[in-house]
Amino acid sequence: MQSDFRCVGLMKRIILSLFLLAPGVILASDPPQHIDVSKLPGQATVVDNVIVPVPSEVFGVLDKLGSPNWHEVLRTAKANPTGERAQVALLLGSVIAEGFIAVEAQEGEEVKKIGRSVLNLAAAVGVRKSVTARSNAIIEAADKKDWESVRKELDGALQDVKQAMIELHDEQLAQLVSLGGWLRGTEALTAVVMKNYSNDAAELLHQPTLLEYFQRRVDGLDSRLKSNVLVAKIQKRLPEIKPLIGGTGGDISAKSVEQIHDIMQDLVKRINSREK
Amino acid sequence: MLLMFMQEGARATIDDALSFALEAATPYVKAGFTVREDYWGGDLGVKQQKAIVHQLFKGNEYWFWMGTDAENAKISVHVYDSDGNLAEVESWQKQHFSAARVVPKRTGSYYLIVEIEKSDQERTHWALAYGFR
Repeated sequence: MQSDFRCVGLMKRIILSLFLLAPGVILASDPPQHIDVSKLPGQATVVDNVIVPVPSEVFGVLDKLGSPNWHEVLRTAKANPTGERAQVALLLGSVIAEGFIAVEAQEGEEVKKIGRSVLNLAAAVGVRKSVTARSNAIIEAADKKDWESVRKELDGALQDVKQAMIELHDEQLAQLVSLGGWLRGTEALTAVVMKNYSNDAAELLHQPTLLEYFQRRVDGLDSRLKSNVLVAKIQKRLPEIKPLIGGTGGDISAKSVEQIHDIMQDLVKRINSREK
Repeated sequence: MLLMFMQEGARATIDDALSFALEAATPYVKAGFTVREDYWGGDLGVKQQKAIVHQLFKGNEYWFWMGTDAENAKISVHVYDSDGNLAEVESWQKQHFSAARVVPKRTGSYYLIVEIEKSDQERTHWALAYGFR
């Protein structure tokens, strides 16, 4: 069996090599080996347009480092629309992140429940139509245990919901969807790392760009959203994470992982709770 | 993400640029790469660059695919780590496309530098997609 896999790998390499050798393909002209990142032209920087990684981007690395028990991390509680629109948006993001965890655990029934929750939550913030097809596709793919398709549809649901919110001039709500997903994804990451600590696994928490991005976004929310008790709590707690995620090349200790976990767990609990 | 700032006409051409970027990604999907649904896009003048800050995770392998709908444009994408060192392990260019592969040595922030090297249009639309495995 192993040699078959090697053959498949070899074939893929050959196919890719043929593509690269196709007419018109040239190796890129030599780029500079070093740039001064402090002197990037101001206009050239588009730091505001940060693409937030999907949880599976991180979970895949954890899978390579060991065999995490994703069943232990998966939360099976039903997610009902609760609270104001800000909370529903945060919950929607965290439920989509839960979907990625359910895929890791290969829990088809949970994935289907999550697909339906996504639809309910999207309806509560007025973007049900945008996500109906994705929700159905998630349920269908989960039935077939086609995990790769479920991942793709979850990512698509996230983008479609955000795009629909932007079209409804609810861009700030779309940012809260991303934030909710990141908080739940990071909580799950810390839970796995705490179970079996290693420097490599802890290093996955070194996410300064994302942390700064979310801090900027929350700070920039309009006063109506910022006065939401839950959002205010998130705004207060995000800066606590910065000293814990390590500087360049610095290891993230087991204690720091635990502290990040406590913050994330507190915030995710609040997102899921009727009480603030 | 950028689309909300753009008018419908601009959006159409960025969508066209994206379709080229995704075309470049197709062989890599068959090789096990997961392509993200989100992407970056915009328009640039000749010799203009954009720097995009992006989070990468050690343990993954990434391809970044840039596309443009401009017929005679030469575009490029290169990836640098947070210290400004070239981080890509390979890259290629072709009409409508450019791509770079990164196997991050560290988890953290990376700079994606996109550039319109040559074009007969005043502003050239581009889109950048990425995939990981």
